Amino acid sequence: MKNMKQRNLILFFVAFLFAVVAQAQPKGGTQLTLQYKAALPTGTFKNTVSDNSFRGLQASVLYGVTKNLAVGFGTGFQDFYQKYPRQLYTLSDGGDLSAVRSFSIQSIPLLAQVKWNGAPDAGIQPYVALGVGGNLVSYNDYAGEFSLEQKTKLGFAARPEAGLFIPFHKGGETGFTAGASYNLMPFSSTAVSNLNHIGIQAGLSFPLRK
Amino acid sequence: MLAIAGLVTASSCTKDPMNNLSAEESRIYITNKDNNVNFGNYKTYSIADSVAVIDNNRFAGEQATAVDQQIIAAVKSAMESRGFVRVARSQSPDLGINVSRLYNTSTSVVDLNDYWSGYGGYYDPYYWGYSGYGYGYPSSYALVQSTEAMLSVDLLDLKNASANNSIRVVWNGVARGSGVFTSDAATTGVQALFNQSPYLNTVR
Repeated sequence: MKNMKQRNLILFFVAFLFAVVAQAQPKGGTQLTLQYKAALPTGTFKNTVSDNSFRGLQASVLYGVTKNLAVGFGTGFQDFYQKYPRQLYTLSDGGDLSAVRSFSIQSIPLLAQVKWNGAPDAGIQPYVALGVGGNLVSYNDYAGEFSLEQKTKLGFAARPEAGLFIPFHKGGETGFTAGASYNLMPFSSTAVSNLNHIGIQAGLSFPLRK
Repeated sequence: MLAIAGLVTASSCTKDPMNNLSAEESRIYITNKDNNVNFGNYKTYSIADSVAVIDNNRFAGEQATAVDQQIIAAVKSAMESRGFVRVARSQSPDLGINVSRLYNTSTSVVDLNDYWSGYGGYYDPYYWGYSGYGYGYPSSYALVQSTEAMLSVDLLDLKNASANNSIRVVWNGVARGSGVFTSDAATTGVQALFNQSPYLNTVR
């Protein structure tokens, strides 16, 4: 039921973007943004993986529908890792397991994205963006060198984001961009119920073609 | 293309969990016990002076290498520290102890029950004076594993074997992971198995 709602939400969002593109008069080019991304786990995800991840990136290819509005595709990559010192765990059958437990989780969101530039002619341009779509997750839970749980799943992801674009010269399309995002990523395994995290990203944005 | 290249580059930046483990950290210690047993009811034990070698689910003989002797000595030391008294096999011990080295080159999921039931008779029950009896094992668990060696220590209920018509395994300890049969790891492995089983104690 929850999956159905998420699928409907993605379909609605993609249909909305198509409708926007179909109705609008093209005003801008196609803009590629590549950013380095750090991730800070939040909520219950933090209970299992508390270490911040400094191994990530975020990218988008957005088509300028109007001067303010751009739509397109957003993606990224994040690697989460956490190792716990040796501990005693109780197994489901009542046995005891002593192990160094480690979690290794990789996430690749694949999102339909819409972005609103609040001041397209300014020297510093604030923006908000929203991406909704799928999330390719590789999940590994290890006891020592042994796998306790391994999952590769396509789940749901939503990524609201806000930030700044600072063109290298006034009116230019190439520039520095930085922002923060909240990454909503439901996921189910024995140890985690989501991969929700705050993203802090910075990088470059430049036009692919006029 | 740039984005794809970026993703590939980022994927290669993944922290490899295996490379981030020392040999000691790679090892796991699993113990299981029969929950219906009060270990205070056992006073004496006997242990074989060699180790059973199980290679790919086949009994490959008994050996007593230097490390095997070290393992047996560590088991004796742990048992005696818990108050159990070692006696000869002919003196009707309450507990018998089997120590095994298991080697498995399979890469599939291993259910420990498979190897227990598969070659549960790796020590002929006749060794313990109960010819014709089978071994009864506690419930099992499964872990995915790669090529590896395992150390297994079984505590057998000889005291009640006649009443049970079976030699019940009342406690099992397994040490798995890198270098589990190296000299240092063998002793610390046995100690770890006993340390996580404080209930293994006799009332004196």
